[in-house]
Amino acid sequence: MLFETCTDVACNNIFAWLNQGPLTLTIVLHTIIILPMFWIYFSEKKKLNGDK
Amino acid sequence: MAEKKASVWTSISFWRRSAAWVTGFATILLIWLTFDTISQIRMGTDEELAKGIKRRIPAPTVINYKIGYKYDEKRGLEVPVIGPEKNPLFGKELSPKEAKNLLHLGKLTEQAKNCMDCHTLLGNGAYYAPDLTKAWLDPMWAKGGPMQAMTGKNSKEEAMVEFLMHPDKYPTHARMMPNLGITEKEAKGLVAFLKHMSSIDTNGFPRGFSKTIKDYETGGTYAK
Repeated sequence: MLFETCTDVACNNIFAWLNQGPLTLTIVLHTIIILPMFWIYFSEKKKLNGDK
Repeated sequence: MAEKKASVWTSISFWRRSAAWVTGFATILLIWLTFDTISQIRMGTDEELAKGIKRRIPAPTVINYKIGYKYDEKRGLEVPVIGPEKNPLFGKELSPKEAKNLLHLGKLTEQAKNCMDCHTLLGNGAYYAPDLTKAWLDPMWAKGGPMQAMTGKNSKEEAMVEFLMHPDKYPTHARMMPNLGITEKEAKGLVAFLKHMSSIDTNGFPRGFSKTIKDYETGGTYAK
């Protein structure tokens, strides 16, 4: 199952929920970090092309 | 000559903005995690213990309770089970203040005698001597185990105190523990410290710790 009941000692926190499976917390954090970099990439590309 | 197209990958501004974003986000995340951890590792209270509210680190009065170790199917690891039966250390139930003072003495002794020079406590220390994180639950010290027979004592805590005071008298291992001049009072503090440490939920660390003499003889919990 993708979502299961939290079995950690303390479940009233986001990290406990995100850390329920192998790599789940890592994947979420990396996704959060990488996604805005697409936006930075395209906005820089627009700026570079606009300069010409 | 065709005009060369500017690449984002060679743009200093792109890398500067990316670095600023990653560093900034990581900083905020680490600060958040630090405060989150502080609340997670805060010691519980006596009331929480009495009500059976689980905390990673229970109150010092946990030494008044029976502590077990059970394999949790859902979490896939062994977790300490506190109570509900009482099993006071040295047969005397301690008040929250007395228990706190005894634990404090144990902690100071542990630091003064530098146990971590040889042993591991909660993942810190050396691997020369046995891991002490769950020493209280070690079947070696339980009824029917070799340590009570060797020291001639009838309870786990008395056997531990006797061993800690005269470790050089009991050759348990090729790497024998030296006599560190631990007094009886200090030894009692150390035993309380060890009992409290065994009640800490360490997410199953050290992994594969055996809980009964039978499990111990047959290769531990994970050998089944």
